[in-house]
Amino acid sequence: MSELKLENLSYFHGKGTPYEIKALDGIDLVIPRGMITGLIGHTGSGKSTLVQMFNGLLRPDEGRVLLDGVDIWEKPKTIRQVRFRVGLVMQYPEYQLFEETVAKDIAFGPRNMGLGEEEIRVRVEEAAAFAGLDRALLDKSPFDLSGGQKRRAAIAGIIAMRPEVLVLDEPAAGLDPRGRDEIFANIVRYQESTGSTVVIVSHSMEDMARYCDNLVVMNGGKVVMQGDRDYIFSRSERLSEIGLDIPQVTRLMLRLKEMGVETDGGIYTVEQAVEKMLKLYGR
Amino acid sequence: MKEPFVETRELSYRYESADAAEPRVLRDLSVTIGKGEFVAVLGHNGSGKSTFAKLLNMILTPTGGKVFVMGKDITDENMTDEEVLALRKRMGMVFQNPDNQLVATIVEDDVAFGPENLGVPSKEIRRRVDEALSELGMSDYATHEPHRLSGGQKQRVAIAGILAMLPDCIIFDESTAMLDPVGRKEVMDAVVRLNREKGITVIMITHYMEEAALADRIIVLNDGRVLLDGSPEAVFEEEALLRSCGLAVPQCTELVHRLREAGIPLDGACVFPEQCAELIMKSLNKER
Amino acid sequence: MKSIAFGQYYPADSILHRLDPRIKVILTVLYIVCSFLCKNIISFALLLASALLLIAAGKIPLKVILRGLRPVLIILIFTAFLNIFWTKGETLLFGWRFIKIYAEGLYAAAFILVRIATLIIGTGMLLTYTTTPIALTDALEDLLSPLKKLHVPVHSFAMMMTIALRFIPTLTEETDKIMTAQKARGADFSEGSLVKRAKALIPILIPLVVSAFNRAEDLAIAMECRCYHGGEGRTRMTVRRLRFVDFIPLALVLLLGASLILLNILGFGYTMR
Repeated sequence: MSELKLENLSYFHGKGTPYEIKALDGIDLVIPRGMITGLIGHTGSGKSTLVQMFNGLLRPDEGRVLLDGVDIWEKPKTIRQVRFRVGLVMQYPEYQLFEETVAKDIAFGPRNMGLGEEEIRVRVEEAAAFAGLDRALLDKSPFDLSGGQKRRAAIAGIIAMRPEVLVLDEPAAGLDPRGRDEIFANIVRYQESTGSTVVIVSHSMEDMARYCDNLVVMNGGKVVMQGDRDYIFSRSERLSEIGLDIPQVTRLMLRLKEMGVETDGGIYTVEQAVEKMLKLYGR
Repeated sequence: MKEPFVETRELSYRYESADAAEPRVLRDLSVTIGKGEFVAVLGHNGSGKSTFAKLLNMILTPTGGKVFVMGKDITDENMTDEEVLALRKRMGMVFQNPDNQLVATIVEDDVAFGPENLGVPSKEIRRRVDEALSELGMSDYATHEPHRLSGGQKQRVAIAGILAMLPDCIIFDESTAMLDPVGRKEVMDAVVRLNREKGITVIMITHYMEEAALADRIIVLNDGRVLLDGSPEAVFEEEALLRSCGLAVPQCTELVHRLREAGIPLDGACVFPEQCAELIMKSLNKER
Repeated sequence: MKSIAFGQYYPADSILHRLDPRIKVILTVLYIVCSFLCKNIISFALLLASALLLIAAGKIPLKVILRGLRPVLIILIFTAFLNIFWTKGETLLFGWRFIKIYAEGLYAAAFILVRIATLIIGTGMLLTYTTTPIALTDALEDLLSPLKKLHVPVHSFAMMMTIALRFIPTLTEETDKIMTAQKARGADFSEGSLVKRAKALIPILIPLVVSAFNRAEDLAIAMECRCYHGGEGRTRMTVRRLRFVDFIPLALVLLLGASLILLNILGFGYTMR
């Protein structure tokens, strides 16, 4: 249950070359402990670069990353320890699978931590359960799994390190609606039962609205908005302006507002919309 | 019904496997798709929708049943190589992973690949390539390297490559699944335009409801069978049925259903926010 | 690797960039022959001058050329060193105990230096810097097409080259991604013994190979759907026609070769054996 804090963080792609691009620009951000934070932004907004700062895969050119108040780059030689504390599930993580069996693959992280065999075994089973992976699959080759199962095996590989902060970059990309719902339900269940800090990166506003308590909106390498769901969606016109795909019901509400109906864009779930409409109909 | 373009009769497919209990991916599927139609094929992963697409383009051979394209039986074993090529030319296919379908190191060379294979004269290829690129809004990228493009741009190049073969029909096999919302919109805009303006028959395999909503007709597959077949409005009415097979309906459709259950008279179906807003406005005005 | 896609192609608008790639391949072969025809000081001077002319004609900055020579610097120095100290001749310039340096040795060293440098500059200017890999592949396919009669699969080789060129950047990016993903799981690629480090590569190589196979399968299906059926009956969008100007450099190089042969017959100054 740790807190991540970024202070005035900047990062350049291709630093020192003529193609230098400022990917992150003076980011000040607190990822609050013990809740799910959603990181939203379209491609190129810097969100995927930002998550690689969280666990020290990239080193900031300016500013600091603080994990429980300690600068993670204080001792660069021990940066690997930070990666065990801040677990990062990359986009399309199934390409990281390589072992003979799913169990061995999930054990890769814990083994790198230098844990004992018994401890590893316990963690693998625990992680597989959290990721919603059937026990019978543990002895199979990861290459024989279906797409959705591979995704879960890869997520389990990170959970098995028991990170204090779990970061997932587009965990449901490319999955069908059922697959998406299952992955997100597992993440929520994991967060609730372990109380860990979780960060989900996505460009699906509908998913973000459904699963995240706290939201951070990025655009052009900067954090343009942060706050709780209601606050962020109360400014849905602004979200739409920066090219984000706002939920369909929010779009509907904005449209109705244009047509003169007394409503606003702060509605982002069907339940809220039903409630609002019933009120308008006077029922 | 328009003139049929593709017709399947009791089409079945079973993956070859030692496991005899392995269920059939497709079971006795009989569908007719008309010329110029825009059909979305919906289904969760494993519903057989991708297999269906691959059977239409002879990437797979059915284990039972027949497929007719413009009245010609393409499951006939005695088809000559020329006939196979002619069929593939008419039925283009765009795949899921944009990186794995571009062949050349320069955009325009890639678009030229299909016509080159067909032995089209050089000048004609040049004309088709320029036209296809401009149709997809990619003319400015003609001499770029594909790997530097965004996902949506790569898919548009892939579509241009098919378009340059002058197809009658394009099958999109989950071509937007790996794209971000911007890329998805780019591709969908192109797909709709090709269908509406060029009259190209479109068969769109997808699991995005909002994309399926753009089609003239939706076919929902489940367990290798047709579960629903009809207009988007009609198909989305069956909310419970869709949910039972792992699919969802667009938020607006769901809202209308819920309001109707609460006793609010809303006539007609709705799929898009604009449509939904009109519907609600009309009924609100009536109430007042 | 990301900024320079592959090879050393240096985009510019020059005579050499515009020259037909087939002619460039032939010129390169002729140029190599020329460099071996050189035997005396005047012919080497001519060779050096022609190399400088090529650099000017290709509009490539000298800095880029020198950077290209850097990897062979050691070889250059080493061969020069060997020639200076091990060539025996008649004009002794310097002698101390067993070290004897002859004028012939200096000549030989200089000649060898010029020959290697011009070979690299020549092939570089004519091919790698001024010709895109894909144009080069096409040119080779054209030039080797007579071999098709002997059932050499020239088209297949060219297609393989093209696909390799297309996928090198994709796979490089993929390697990066896999490495990052494994690092996030605590993999360590920089520490430990050689064996340990080699073992650390397994988590990268296996996913990379698996993915390459998947991509190959996808690509094969996509190509089939785009009516690919080998080289037979295939046409090309860009048909290169040789223009008159394309023959001028050819004539110039032939002239260079002829003068070198003439110089060899006449013989000037120190002549290499």
